[in-house]
Amino acid sequence: MKYKSQKIAYWFFATCMLLLSLQIIYGFVMGFARMGFDVLHDWIPFNAARATHTNLLVVWLLTGFMGAAHYIIPDESDREIYSEKLAYIQLISLILVGVVSIIGFHFNIWEGRKFLEIPRPLDYLVVVNVLLFLFNIGMTVWKGKRYTTTALVLYFGLFSAALLYLPGMIQFNSQTVDSYFRWWVVHLWVEGVWELIMGGILSFLLIKLTGVDREVIEKWLYVIVGLTFLSGILGTGHHYYYIGVPEYWKWVGGFFSMLEPLAFLAMAMFAISMYRKSGRNHPNTIALFWTIGSAVMSFVGAGFLGFAHTLPQVNLYTHGTLITAMHGHLAFWGAYAMIVFAILTYAMPLLTGRKLWNNPTGLFAFWASNIGMLGMTGAFAVAGIAQVYLERKLGLDFLTVQKEIQVHFLGLVLAALVFTAGIIAFIINFIRFGTPTDEALGAEQASGDISLARRS
Amino acid sequence: MLTKFQAKLFFLVGTFLFSAVFLMLTYDSLKYVYSSPSSRTLSEEVIRGKELWEKNNCMGCHTILGEGAYYAPELTKVYERRGPEWIRVFLKDPEAMYPGERKMVKYDFSESQISDIIAFLKWNGELDLKGFPPKPEYKTSTQIVNSESASVTQPEKFKQICTACHSVAGSGGNVGPALDSVGKKYDLAYLQNWLKDPQKVKPGTAMPKLPLTDSEIKDLSSYLSQLK
Repeated sequence: MKYKSQKIAYWFFATCMLLLSLQIIYGFVMGFARMGFDVLHDWIPFNAARATHTNLLVVWLLTGFMGAAHYIIPDESDREIYSEKLAYIQLISLILVGVVSIIGFHFNIWEGRKFLEIPRPLDYLVVVNVLLFLFNIGMTVWKGKRYTTTALVLYFGLFSAALLYLPGMIQFNSQTVDSYFRWWVVHLWVEGVWELIMGGILSFLLIKLTGVDREVIEKWLYVIVGLTFLSGILGTGHHYYYIGVPEYWKWVGGFFSMLEPLAFLAMAMFAISMYRKSGRNHPNTIALFWTIGSAVMSFVGAGFLGFAHTLPQVNLYTHGTLITAMHGHLAFWGAYAMIVFAILTYAMPLLTGRKLWNNPTGLFAFWASNIGMLGMTGAFAVAGIAQVYLERKLGLDFLTVQKEIQVHFLGLVLAALVFTAGIIAFIINFIRFGTPTDEALGAEQASGDISLARRS
Repeated sequence: MLTKFQAKLFFLVGTFLFSAVFLMLTYDSLKYVYSSPSSRTLSEEVIRGKELWEKNNCMGCHTILGEGAYYAPELTKVYERRGPEWIRVFLKDPEAMYPGERKMVKYDFSESQISDIIAFLKWNGELDLKGFPPKPEYKTSTQIVNSESASVTQPEKFKQICTACHSVAGSGGNVGPALDSVGKKYDLAYLQNWLKDPQKVKPGTAMPKLPLTDSEIKDLSSYLSQLK
């Protein structure tokens, strides 16, 4: 690391790992319930487990993005973070809001809109919290010695994510309008501004890991985020087919959804071609694995599997079935979880000064979690296709169909075990790095960080 | 190839152009929603029902308009499928209606709260959803037997509750068996016992113990015993 204050990133990353572990536990609770073992029903009913599972996902990913920003922005702006104290206050308050919300879910306290379950009074705290974060990072960029495209795209992404949280806080009486604006948050986050954040982190990592010229990488970054918005904004329409809005959304949503995979395809091609252009090999190969892996898996999960059920003719049948869960799992994993893992793997040796790269545990973590996640996606896919056929085509009763597909959830839980083994290995590695030290300042040279070595 | 400036221009122009189109379409969609018949039927009751729906995170298991958690049935057309009486009985004690099956939390709703929820479900079921949820394509129709032979007319309670799961003369649900010839299999006394407490007669059956009065049981069983 170049700046002392980059150490803050570590505490965000540690929080990330903790929240991810909790998310997986709740995933298992749901997996078992679906297999017919709903033994925790009285303490953790399905809706509580579900809300906790998805909210933890959002919070740990956002924590990861914030950690990434605390590492990347000082590096890109060539200065210490604006206020270290503010950063810690912000992290602690974020954890508090998260913990209070999650405990509340178990006592039937929530707002009850999918992905936006956090009760409204706490929403205001989230807003204050995010404003603190944006102010701190924004001032760092503003007062920085240089403005890079990577930093600006990352900041613009984080800023827009905060801005788009607001439409989700307005109350509507009509379920149609409620649904309409809920997607402004949910869709425009994951298929819009979060991709900016992902693009920003990806290009930072590629600059560092491949040593390809910044100008080349940043030019492609613009093209990719351009494609994302070009397709993603009107692509929101694929959530509007069947909620009671005008018919034209089928055409608009269908057409722009068809373009959405392009941004992900471009991202995958971009990452791979930059890797092939790199003259030298960076010693932290596992970070490179996660980086390229993220670009590729996001194309498979978000691009391809998303495309598989966004056309209105298909979506008529798959809408509101396990097909959505199939797409959701691989999309979030590929696009967002993996990029957080990538920046974490890249930053940890530099934060702690321990050259723990390329060890067997790290490699196992990469392969086991990816294979496990692909297995889970497969289980959801088979269950989902069977559900669509039996329920929507043959008209069997919902619960009858659920009994028929119970067996696929055994497959899901088994795959989830492989996935969890990978995540445990990752966390073990994370703990082995220990906490960051000042001795790691200027460790870039020793780390073989290509572009930095060239610059000095 | 593109220069960095051109790439930046592509990003900025694309983003602003499509954001503008999106806002325009949003304006038009809201105009459409607020001038459609559904906005006139959006009563206080429906709004209170929606609040209850959200306050208890029903979407954490169910889906409505196809959005939710896929763990419990899609409820957009539940009003049409089950009818208000059935939903009322169900909400009082969900597990009693599906003994031994996937569980739902028992909420202590008051009568008026249940009415609000039913109003909310009815309102959603009446939305113009452009063909969602789709009608099953290969559904086999239930066999029609001579239900005309019944001399006792169908009790009101039967229409309100039983048809949610059972069918007679081809209309009704397909969760339980069709009842067209139930009188051939069981006599009056058996049916009365059965309706009083199905679990006692056949432990583990999917048939719930329904909140029926003695006279309702009498009416229903004399009707059913005639279906031959």
